[in-house]
Amino acid sequence: MADPLCTRLKHIIVQTLRLEDITPEQIKDDEPLIGSGLALDSIDALELVVQLEKEFGIKISSSEESKQALASVSSLAAFIRTRVEPSRLPS
Amino acid sequence: MTAETEHSAARNPGPDWGYAFLRLADKVLPEWLYRPLRGLGTAIAMAGMREQRRHSRDYLRLMLGREPGVREVFRHFFAFEESLMLKLRIANGRHIPCEYTEGAQDFRRWMEGGGPVFLGTMHVGVSDMLGFQIGGRGEHSVYLVRQQVGNSHDTERLERRFGGRVKFIWVNRPQDMIFALKDAAATPHAIAMQCDRVEHSARVEAFQFLGARRLFPFTIYHLALIFRRPVLLSVGVTKACGTSELHAAPVFELREGERREEALARARVHFQGFLTQVEVLLRRDPYVWYNFTALNPVAGQDMPSSR
Repeated sequence: MADPLCTRLKHIIVQTLRLEDITPEQIKDDEPLIGSGLALDSIDALELVVQLEKEFGIKISSSEESKQALASVSSLAAFIRTRVEPSRLPS
Repeated sequence: MTAETEHSAARNPGPDWGYAFLRLADKVLPEWLYRPLRGLGTAIAMAGMREQRRHSRDYLRLMLGREPGVREVFRHFFAFEESLMLKLRIANGRHIPCEYTEGAQDFRRWMEGGGPVFLGTMHVGVSDMLGFQIGGRGEHSVYLVRQQVGNSHDTERLERRFGGRVKFIWVNRPQDMIFALKDAAATPHAIAMQCDRVEHSARVEAFQFLGARRLFPFTIYHLALIFRRPVLLSVGVTKACGTSELHAAPVFELREGERREEALARARVHFQGFLTQVEVLLRRDPYVWYNFTALNPVAGQDMPSSR
């Protein structure tokens, strides 16, 4: 069964970055987000980080954190879980 | 090449002690002697800058409509040298009065009232100093998005002079830049960036400029959309009387409820208007274009669409 947080994150990625030629279901949990894979650029990364901060009330404050968090959807989910109250996560 | 090695490899032309020497000479030598010496120094430097000479020649050929002579290429280099000299003089405390031209009312209003904006400029005339001029006003702080080079002593000095009201965000450290930009956007301060060189720019688009559809950075408008900030574009040139003259486009502001595509379409018109304004200035005085690099590339048939 799909992780509800990963599913939510894929929807956020597609909506926030207006990825017209890709659906949330097509994004793999371990697919790299930056560079290869979805090939997001620095402006995409910035927009995504701003949206995630708004949505989950977290702060991604350094390049090291972002490198770790934005590596893939599953690493992003793991990053959010360590910083957000479980009640704020989708179930 | 990593961002770190790129940073250490990129350098301003000239020796490390160059700025210190120019500052000292400016203090001790009378201008009637110092100016011809600067001209001689420029000629020597120019002789060693083959690539920059070639780019200057290509640009001047386009602007003058004929093959430029050596004197004209020298004039281009010397105009740039004099703008660097002016920057050093500002760093040493000189105040350059600034006049606003017709059409720069929005910029003037912002200078008087402040507020969070994205300031866009180009390597034209004294525009490079715009951030510092703003930082020099007590009520304003500004973040400057710039390429960090190994011997950027002028920027270090200017940063020290304005006591923290001018801060830098280094564009050649893309990962760090995202967070520096995000943090800067959370403050009420302005963020200034150059909008003419396509390297380091995440988003580029084609605009009509100097007779062709050329690529220009368009990132500033994407940032405006992300952070809901207005955009003010301006360039400054010096006048013979020693003052500077500021040319600016009307402010670009996002409208309530406006769709992203509509905002970007307006942004394209806004930027094109500014480029036309800059082109008029350059046609009047071609020597104030301080990009000694290849002119912005002509757009190909298959332009990537901007999200």
